[in-house]
Amino acid sequence: MTSTDFSAVFWKEWKEIVLERSAGGAGSYRPLILVALLGILLPLRMGPARFFTPSQLLIYSFFSAVVVTAVIADSFAGERERHTLETLLATRLSDRAILFGKIAASLAYGWLVAMLCVLCGTITVNVANWDGHLLLYRDWASWLVLLLGPPLVGGVVATAGVLISLHAATVRHAQQTLMVGFTILFLGVIFGGNMLPDAWKLWFGGILVAWSPAALVLAGAGVVLMIDIALLLAGMARFQRARLVLD
Amino acid sequence: MEEFAIRTKGLTRTFGQVRALDTLTLDVPSGSVFGFLGPNGAGKTTAIRLLLGLIEPTSGSASVLGFDTRTQGNEIRSRAGALLEHSGLYERLSAEDNLRFYGRVARMPRLRLEERIRELLTHLDLWERRKEAAVKWSRGMKQKLAIARSLLHNPALVFLDEPTAGLDPVAAATLRDDLAGLASRQGATIFLTTHNLAEAEKLCHMVAVVREGKLLAVGSPAELRSRGGGQRAEISGRGFSDAVLATVRQHASVSQASLENGRLTLVLKEGAGVAPLVDLIVREGGQVEEVRSGQGSLEDVFLALMEADPK
Repeated sequence: MTSTDFSAVFWKEWKEIVLERSAGGAGSYRPLILVALLGILLPLRMGPARFFTPSQLLIYSFFSAVVVTAVIADSFAGERERHTLETLLATRLSDRAILFGKIAASLAYGWLVAMLCVLCGTITVNVANWDGHLLLYRDWASWLVLLLGPPLVGGVVATAGVLISLHAATVRHAQQTLMVGFTILFLGVIFGGNMLPDAWKLWFGGILVAWSPAALVLAGAGVVLMIDIALLLAGMARFQRARLVLD
Repeated sequence: MEEFAIRTKGLTRTFGQVRALDTLTLDVPSGSVFGFLGPNGAGKTTAIRLLLGLIEPTSGSASVLGFDTRTQGNEIRSRAGALLEHSGLYERLSAEDNLRFYGRVARMPRLRLEERIRELLTHLDLWERRKEAAVKWSRGMKQKLAIARSLLHNPALVFLDEPTAGLDPVAAATLRDDLAGLASRQGATIFLTTHNLAEAEKLCHMVAVVREGKLLAVGSPAELRSRGGGQRAEISGRGFSDAVLATVRQHASVSQASLENGRLTLVLKEGAGVAPLVDLIVREGGQVEEVRSGQGSLEDVFLALMEADPK
């Protein structure tokens, strides 16, 4: 894969993502509504004490993942639905350039919308609580979450989404499968966590208390990165031109 | 340059129990316009997919521009242009962005790409509307844009699946001229499928007829006409009864005869003339008003091949 091929796919995907969301349909207002909710209303309710903490910033990482869900489902299923996939596959583009270009564009979009929300939130909180001093994130953990959270958590969704979208018949089918999968995972983590043996909970609680917030963020990021890589490798293994053409 | 742009040997592809392509052996000369003709489900799309290296053959082999389709698909795809079953346009993108994307994929230098986009869109009367999203365009305009995309990087080989579908007669004629020029001036090979047999006859140097994956005939349109269709005659008039038809059918120079709406259509054996048949019809009580004779068209040959090899 060369950077030229990757950037060509990224450019096309980015244009399609942005154009679809600025075409004037019902979907055009969704990002604006989300930015209004998560960039203005939520920070106003949180106030500076809660908004400028790393744990609250995780919300924006998950929000980034939700945005990626909507975009990535379209990656292959959308091309198949609109009959553009075979023409794309009939070019000299490598499998990796197509795969990575699509994943990167969806991640970039999710990250951009999340950052826009954080920026709006920072402005909102400062305006609402102005006392002559600029309020900002002042600890390492917050900056690490800001930097690593959206791309890594979005990465899980993007790589899993590509896996589903590769063989989904329609975009709607891919979106539904992805949403159901993540709902099950989310509930599984919550209820599964509660059902852990007490000894494990104590051990985990001890880590939370003993480790610094920045170390916890880095450890969490490492785990998510491993999941990203595993899903990406699975996506690369499942990307088979012949199967995609015949599906 | 290779003598043959495409060579296949016993190329076969099955899907479960279905043989989509059955031991196809074919040589397509470089710089020719080659028509691949057949009814729906004949295996035309499968053949193009195999030749582009998008799917692997079940057995047999194929080389395209000197590259093996099994192992060097990427080399083939980088040198070929393709207009497949669907136009494959990104309809949210503008016309020029569609071409820009595929130009970048083909690694065309930026300035050359912009020049080529202008050249193609101007030639196809699309330049003024280049900034519009393709979704707003008519089917014919989209087809033109898809053709422009397939020719963008001046490929050595172009696969075109029904290229004139959706085009108005003027645009279709212009495209035929363009394709003929592309083959004669630039030495590009055009491999096209079409249902429009008159078009194939005008444009193609060679045609192959396939049915249910099997190659039924291959040659120049003139060769096929002389081989399969033979001399034909249409005789209009009055008093053409079933008895007249039966007598004509029995004549030694007639291989086929049919009567429809008072008009006799005859397929004659090689070297046979029409005059003795006119004489025969008159003697049997028929009144001949008009006689037209000539070589059978490619369509006649095609239909004869389909009838000769029924399901």
